Amino acid sequence: MEPIIKVENFTFYYPDSQAPALEGINLTVREGEFLGLTGPAGAGKTTLALALNGIIPNFQGGRMGGKVMVAGLDTAKTPCARLAGVIGSVFQDPEAQLVAEVVEDELAFGLENLAVSREEIQRRIGAALEMVGIASLRHRSLRELSGGQKQKVAIAAAVALRPRVLVLDEPTSELDPQGTVEIVALLQRLNRDYGITILLIEQKISVLAPRVPRLVCLNKGRIVADASPRQILAQEKLTTELGLEVPPVTALFRMLRRAGVYQGDLPLEVDEGQRELGRLLGSRASRA
Amino acid sequence: MPGKSFLHKLNPLTKVVWSLAVITLAFVYQQPLPILSLWASVLAVALIGKVLREILPAIRGLIIFAAIFFLFQVFLIDEGQVVFTLVPGTGIGRITDVGLKACTMLALRMLAMTSTIPVLLATTPPKDMIVAFVEKLKVPYVYALMLVTSLRFIPTLQEELSLVIQAQRARAYDLEGRNIIKRFLALIPLALPLLLMSVQRARTMAISMETRAFGAGPRTSLHTSTFQLLDIGVISSCLLLTAVLAVVSLH
Ligand SMILES: Nc1ncnc2c1ncn2[C@@H]1O[C@H](COP(=O)(O)OP(=O)(O)OP(=O)(O)O)[C@@H](O)[C@H]1O
Ligand SMILES: [Mg+2]
Repeated sequence: MEPIIKVENFTFYYPDSQAPALEGINLTVREGEFLGLTGPAGAGKTTLALALNGIIPNFQGGRMGGKVMVAGLDTAKTPCARLAGVIGSVFQDPEAQLVAEVVEDELAFGLENLAVSREEIQRRIGAALEMVGIASLRHRSLRELSGGQKQKVAIAAAVALRPRVLVLDEPTSELDPQGTVEIVALLQRLNRDYGITILLIEQKISVLAPRVPRLVCLNKGRIVADASPRQILAQEKLTTELGLEVPPVTALFRMLRRAGVYQGDLPLEVDEGQRELGRLLGSRASRA
Repeated sequence: MPGKSFLHKLNPLTKVVWSLAVITLAFVYQQPLPILSLWASVLAVALIGKVLREILPAIRGLIIFAAIFFLFQVFLIDEGQVVFTLVPGTGIGRITDVGLKACTMLALRMLAMTSTIPVLLATTPPKDMIVAFVEKLKVPYVYALMLVTSLRFIPTLQEELSLVIQAQRARAYDLEGRNIIKRFLALIPLALPLLLMSVQRARTMAISMETRAFGAGPRTSLHTSTFQLLDIGVISSCLLLTAVLAVVSLH
């Protein structure tokens, strides 16, 4: 099957800038994948997200090379409005990305722009709110909602357009740990139950690592790693270079590995680590 | 917000008609007392609409604005009898009876005219305003949206301004205890971060709209704008009353 996202040798310079924001990017994503994207500040994560949803080059000027294909559409040759039905986007600032006053109207915005009929708008709003699990917020004012709720509304507004891909640019950076976990769990559900391909940009690697099968790392405009989180977190040089915040339990087991005490897979979460630790101590005790 | 009072139930355009009626009368009246009663009637409408308390800070701002306006103008007019001099024996800061009356009129007129705006905003959800403008007045959607979103950013900007002030204060940046010019100059370093933040905000909003097919072509609308019997009643009484009052006062 044709991949849902295919980026080929993509390079992009912002106007008046000497250094490329992205350089020689190659990335293939199959439909239904859940992909994490991480990297230090200024690595080009946002730029890549904007290249996928067609803002680059349709809205943001600059020089580009290579090609970005999403669901068989060349983003450089497809108007943003056409791409809107294929790829949905959620941004970092929960405040600025919302245009309406009331939840329902926020979801209606994109559907109205696509000239969907009034009855169909009602139906799709209902369905999207159900999918995201915020049906009770339908008539609430956006101003009264928490940051996490606002981000769910932004996700629902994207989902209402029935996209095949969702790109989320650090949607949890302004949320507390609880809100972060909730958003990631919601995205997992959208991915599993509805087959929506998800590309989640996230700096909080400890949240991301246990939940995504594939992690892409950007640094200085280039892809420097594309593997499972376990494989990436095992590479001490890489994680230091990228300034990745390695989960403490993973760091501990990396040390145990280096000391030659431990040979198994690196645990990414605390309970996983506890189990491994128990096994380790048990086997040592029985040997003694 | 809907169903709070009869003002909330009116079509936004009905309230715009009321605003225009008040503005017309404010220009027609040439005496302080009628204008003062016109202003009182605006506040009475706010009271009946259960938003007087809510708009009080805005009204206070408008009063201060009118007072500043008054002060700037009143010393500039030198026709008529001198009634007061700031520095006795010199010509500095003299106020004449003509100037006093003209400036009082100007300030009251401004107050009466502008006081309808907070009433309008407090009783109308912005989306209703957009829908009414687009459907009934055929204003292009882009302009209606632009107007309404910029209004929506005002509270956010206020919040951010106070944040920036706090941040600057934490860096021992003193705002108080200076004269007015120095205070104004001191605002410039505050304005810069605010401006940058709004530019970033506006960019995010534009991108977010673009990714949801904004400007794709003809669009539909979830809500419609309707005129009820109440609207027709209010509009006709506004027109009638304005006409009658105008004719009476012009004679
Ligand atoms: N609008 C712009 N104009 C010019 N240069 C830009 C613009 N946006 C980003 N850049 C530059 O492009 C590079 C990549 O930026 P990008 O925003 O994609 O990074 P990022 O990985 O999203 O960083 P962050 O973690 O801070 O969000 C940076 O060097 C940045 O300074
Ligand atoms: Mg970014």
